[in-house]
Amino acid sequence: MSKTIVHMDLDTFYVSVERLIDSRLVGVPVLLGGVGDRGVVASCSYEARTFGVHSGMSMKMARQLCPQGVVIKGNAGTYSKYSKTVTEIIKEAVPVLEKSSIDEFYMDLSGMDKFFGCYKLASELRQRITKETGLPISFGMSINKTVSKVATGEAKPDNQMKIDFGDEKPFLAPLSVKKIPMIGKKTAFMLNRMGVQKIHTLQEMPLELLEKAFGKNGKMMWQKANAIDYSPLIPYHEKKSISTERTFMKDTIDVVKLKNMVIAMVEQLAFELRNGERVCSNISIKLRYSDFQTVSKQKRIPYTAADHTLIQYASELFDSLYSRRVRIRLVGVRLGDLAGGGHQIDLFNDDDRVISLYQAMDKMKQRYGANAVRRSVAMEVTGLGRGNPFSGEPNVVPAHRNA
Amino acid sequence: MKFIVNTNQLLNKLQGVSGTIVSKPVIPILDHFLFDIKDGKLTITGTDLETSMSTSLDVQSDEDVRIAIPSKMCLDTLKALPNQPVTFTVQVDKNTIELKSEFGRYKLIGQNADDFPKIPEPTAENSFNMSSGVLSSSIAQTMFASGNDELRLSLTGVYVQLFQDNAVFVATDANRLVKVERSDVKPGVESNFILPKKALNLLKSNLPQDDTECKVDFNDSNAFFTFGDVSLICRLIDERYPDYKAVIPTENPNKLSLNRQDFLNSVKRISIFGNKTTNQINIKITGSELTISAEDIDLSNEAVERLGCDYAGEDMEIGFNSKLLIEMLQNISTPDIVIELSTPNRAGIILPSKNIDDEQLLMLIMPMMIASAS
Repeated sequence: MSKTIVHMDLDTFYVSVERLIDSRLVGVPVLLGGVGDRGVVASCSYEARTFGVHSGMSMKMARQLCPQGVVIKGNAGTYSKYSKTVTEIIKEAVPVLEKSSIDEFYMDLSGMDKFFGCYKLASELRQRITKETGLPISFGMSINKTVSKVATGEAKPDNQMKIDFGDEKPFLAPLSVKKIPMIGKKTAFMLNRMGVQKIHTLQEMPLELLEKAFGKNGKMMWQKANAIDYSPLIPYHEKKSISTERTFMKDTIDVVKLKNMVIAMVEQLAFELRNGERVCSNISIKLRYSDFQTVSKQKRIPYTAADHTLIQYASELFDSLYSRRVRIRLVGVRLGDLAGGGHQIDLFNDDDRVISLYQAMDKMKQRYGANAVRRSVAMEVTGLGRGNPFSGEPNVVPAHRNA
Repeated sequence: MKFIVNTNQLLNKLQGVSGTIVSKPVIPILDHFLFDIKDGKLTITGTDLETSMSTSLDVQSDEDVRIAIPSKMCLDTLKALPNQPVTFTVQVDKNTIELKSEFGRYKLIGQNADDFPKIPEPTAENSFNMSSGVLSSSIAQTMFASGNDELRLSLTGVYVQLFQDNAVFVATDANRLVKVERSDVKPGVESNFILPKKALNLLKSNLPQDDTECKVDFNDSNAFFTFGDVSLICRLIDERYPDYKAVIPTENPNKLSLNRQDFLNSVKRISIFGNKTTNQINIKITGSELTISAEDIDLSNEAVERLGCDYAGEDMEIGFNSKLLIEMLQNISTPDIVIELSTPNRAGIILPSKNIDDEQLLMLIMPMMIASAS
C-alpha cells in the first residue's frame, strides 16, 4: 500500500518571524544573518532574492548585491519559540510527525484518506497555522519524503501542491537535478559535466553507470530521481554528540585567547551534559586556519561530565593540534559517545568540594541562564548557550555569529 | 639420559606452571618449560621474565640433566595420554626429548637450558611466614577492585602494607576501594609493595586453601612466595601507591544497616533497567525506607523498589554504579552489612556487620553525580 507523506516548510522562516515582530520589514528586502563582514546570510526575504541573494552567501556579498536591504542579526531563541508553537499545532492534527529542522516538518498521513481526506486535512492545517501564528507555510504531498520535499519547493511561497499517485516521475522529470535534496553544488556540477541537466536524464540513465561514478550515493540519487524513497519518518532525534564552534571576527594567532575560547566552550558543553544527565567518552577539537585548512583531533576518554577533566583533555588536544604558525579562523569543540547517567566521581582526581561547586553553578545557570556564573577566563566569550540540546528537537541553525 | 614419571602427576604440575607462559613471547625460549633434574628430583620452571613459577616432583632418573621443552606440545601430548608411566629420553647434545608411552614414541626438539633466562633468587633481606589460606582469601577479597588502566599502573595491582604485627591489603580502581586488614599475619617488619595482577591470579589459583605455611621474601624489585613444592617469583610494580588513607572519609554520621542478600538482589533487579553504559542506580533513604531506582533516559526504561532498613541519619539521595556495588556486595560474607554515608558527593563505606576472626574488611564506593542533589 502506498503511503501519504506531507512535507511542510515555513517560508523564509526567520524573516517571517522578524516581520511579525516589526511590521516595517514587510515588503522590503531583508537580509538575516551575521552582521559582520565574516557573517553569512542565514535567511533572506523573497524581495532580496530578486537581487540574487541566497542563504549561505557571505553577508559582504549580499550587501553589495542588495545595498538597500535591511540587515538583521536575528535571535535563535525567538525562532525556537515560534517553531515550537507551530509544532504544537501540527502535533494535534497528525498521527506521526518528524521535525527535521526548525522550520521543516514531515508527517505521515497514510490511511487517513478514509476518514478525513488527506489533502483536505493538510490544506486546513496549513490555513490554521497561518491564521494562528501569522507565519506563511507551504506544503507538498506525495508518496514519499523526497517527492514531497521537491513539491514543497515548487509550491513556494505560501502555497501547496499535491502530486497524484503515479505522477511522481513525470512531475520530477522536467526539473533541474539540483532540486533533488541530496544533490548540492558539487554533485550538480559533476552531473552537468556528464551532460545531465534535468532529472529526466537521470531517470533514464542505467543505475550501474551512476553507481560507478558516485558509488553508494549514485544508487540513492538514481532511486530518488525515480521517486523511490522508503526512508521512514523519525519522530524523535536522539543526540549522539553535542558541539559548538565559533568563527573569529578577525583571524587570530593569540594562543591565550584561543585557549580561553576552548575553555569557555568546554564549560558550556559540560553544563549542557550535566543538565541533560549525560556523560561523554569522546572529545574532539576542530581548528580552521586562515587558509581554510581544517584539522580536527579526537580522543577517547573515560566517561565523564566534569569541567576540569574535560578542560584538561581539550587543552592537550588543542596543544597537539595547533602546530602551524598560521592564524586561526575557527575553533570548535565536540563531545561525543554520550551515555545517560551521572558523572562517576573519582577517588583521587575529583574533590567533593569541586563536585558540589559544579552542582551549585549548574543550579544558578538553570535559573539565571548559562552566563550567570563562569570561569573568569571564559568571561568575555558570549552567546554560546542555546538551551537544552536533549529535548529531542532538531538543532536551531543560528544566524552565524562572530566572536 | 632417561627418567620415568607418571603422566597425571606431571601434567598436574605442568598446568600450574603453564600459567606464567604467554602465548607469543618476546624471546622464543619463553614458551618452554625448563626441566631440571637433580638427585632424582625434577624441577619445572616457567617464566615471562616478570613472573616466574617453579614446582618439583620426584622422578626415577639415572643422572642429572637440564633442558628446555616446548610447553604447548608437551602439555598437549600429556593431556592426550591416559594415566600411565612415561619414559623421557633426553639427548642434551642434540636438544632432543623422546617420550615413550604404552602406545609408541614421540620425539620433540627442545632448547639448550643455558639459554633459559635466570630466575631471580630470594635474597634474605626481608622475609616472614603466613598461612596460605589467609593470603589466598586476602587476594580474592581485594583483587576484583583493582584497576585496568595502564596509565595508572600502580592501581592495576594490590598494595600490600606490612607492619610489625599485621598486614593490610588494598586495591582500588579510583572508583571503589577494598581494604583488608589481617591481624593474624605477623610480618615483623614494616614495609610495602605492589603485587601485579598476573602474580595475584597465579597465587589465587595455586595457593592451597588450608593452613600450609607460605614463606614470603621480598626486596625492592621482587617478591618470592614459597608454599609446598611451589615457588613463585614476581617483579613488583615500581610505582608509588596513592595515599589511599587520605581519601577514606572518617566522619560518616549517616549509618544504614540492612540485609546484604536482600539488598544485593534488589540492586541486581533494578540495574537491569538502568543505562547499560553508566550502570547508574539511585538510592534514596527517608526514615527507615530505602528506595532503589534506575532509569534509562534513552530507552525510557525505569524501575523502583522499596526495602526496609535500619537508618540513623539525615534523609538523602545518592547515585552509585550498580556493577561496582554488586561486585562489592558479592565479596562480603556476612549476612548483614552497614553502609556509612556523609553527603551525596562523598564516598560511601560498606562494612560487614561484624568482623570475622582476625580480618577487618572495609569497602568504599564513590558515588555518581546526581542532578537533584544539593
